[in-house]
Amino acid sequence: MLNFVQGHLISIAFIVFILGLVYQGIQFFKLTKKKEWCVPPSSIEIKREKMTTQQRILEGLRSLNGNLWKTDPALTFITVVFHICLIATPLFLLGHNILLDQSWGVRLFSFPESLSDLLTLIVLICGVYFLGRRLFLARVRAISSVYDYIVLLIALAPFLTGFLAYHQWFDYEIVILLHILSGQLMLITIPFTKLGHMLFFFLYRFLIGSEYSFVRGSRTW
Amino acid sequence: MAHQETKSVDTEKIKEMLNQRKGTMKRFLSHCAHCSICAESCFLYMAHNKDPQYMPSYKVIHSLGKLYRKRGKVDRKFLMKIKGMVWRNCVLCGRCYCPIGVPIPSMITFTRNICRSQEVYPQLDETSSESWL
Ligand code: HEM
Ligand code: HEM
Ligand code: SF4
Ligand code: SF4
Repeated sequence: MLNFVQGHLISIAFIVFILGLVYQGIQFFKLTKKKEWCVPPSSIEIKREKMTTQQRILEGLRSLNGNLWKTDPALTFITVVFHICLIATPLFLLGHNILLDQSWGVRLFSFPESLSDLLTLIVLICGVYFLGRRLFLARVRAISSVYDYIVLLIALAPFLTGFLAYHQWFDYEIVILLHILSGQLMLITIPFTKLGHMLFFFLYRFLIGSEYSFVRGSRTW
Repeated sequence: MAHQETKSVDTEKIKEMLNQRKGTMKRFLSHCAHCSICAESCFLYMAHNKDPQYMPSYKVIHSLGKLYRKRGKVDRKFLMKIKGMVWRNCVLCGRCYCPIGVPIPSMITFTRNICRSQEVYPQLDETSSESWL
């Protein structure tokens, strides 16, 4: 049982994670074969005036005025930090890279352990902020259900248990087992729950034609 | 008006419509992070003292989301409840901004289609307490 969790189940989790994302990607392209103009064709032909670097920076700063940075700077800052740490920490973690090296002979660059530990803590703090929002802000509570708390827990559990394991608090054997299980649970649920926004954010915002598309996407559902 | 409220609901029809667009609509619903960032982008939300009921995501989660959760098995009362949500609380201006890119207006349009198939839509002679403006 223990061997299974620490061996084959890890492979299974990664396979489900990757095939799940591939499946969702294929479904996306199947469902969005139709294309249409999202901006009138003529506006593409009008060349924009050349801007100096200084103008470009000012333009960029000015554009921040109309977006989330203006309406909710705290949330914007926290969600950006949360997501960067969420992805960077497990990828560049020494403990993970050693395991990767042992099983596949490849390893990524690793952060110093103290840095990883700090980033883990940051993820957890941001997670507590999200939990607080969900619990205490009427507008978030109005659209929350048990499911949202479960998904937040699924996303945070690997960080909490990883943190406990690193500091060897409680029984290490049990904590690391819980860590591996929660990591696997997160990988498996990403393609099929709202965590799927990890893939669909890029599909929606880059490929779908819409006013808010980052790069003039033209696919339609 | 009375007609709308008493007619029986063709749940088979609703189910059929729901299934037809399951691939897209259920994905849209599932990718919404339930974060409420879209709230301020809706002028109706801003114009109603930031009442959560006018939040773009609220309007789809509590109408289309529930339709899928109940697999179309809904009663007239439910349809009358979501009527205001999709016909009055949203004007389909398409200005809602979602960081992830969940297309709220197309979901509301689809919910309106379902309502219309059950003859739930605003009528010109309507003199109910809830004004349509
Ligand atoms: C699925 C297989 C996984 C395995 C086998 C695994 C294994 C490990 C191991 C051996 C450690 C080191 C603990 C120590 O230093 O004693 C660790 C730490 C950690 N893991 Fe994982 N892990 C997995 C998945 C994940 C996932 C999916 C995430 C997050 C998305 C994650 C986040 C972390 C973090 C943040 C730490 C370090 C915490 C700290 O240093 O404070 N792990 N993991
Ligand atoms: C890689 C690109 C990703 C992008 C662009 C992205 C973007 C977003 C956005 C825009 C939100 C809504 C704003 C908020 O509530 O903070 C959000 C929320 C969230 N994301 Fe991501 N995300 C990505 C990856 C991930 C991954 C890999 C996970 C975890 C496995 C994740 C977990 C979450 C969680 C748990 C929330 C909701 C927080 C809450 O409960 O309010 N995200 N994401
Ligand atoms: S529609 Fe977008 S902005 Fe609104 S709650 Fe859902 S994910 Fe957040
Ligand atoms: S389309 Fe509807 S929900 Fe979106 S901004 Fe306009 S009125 Fe609000």
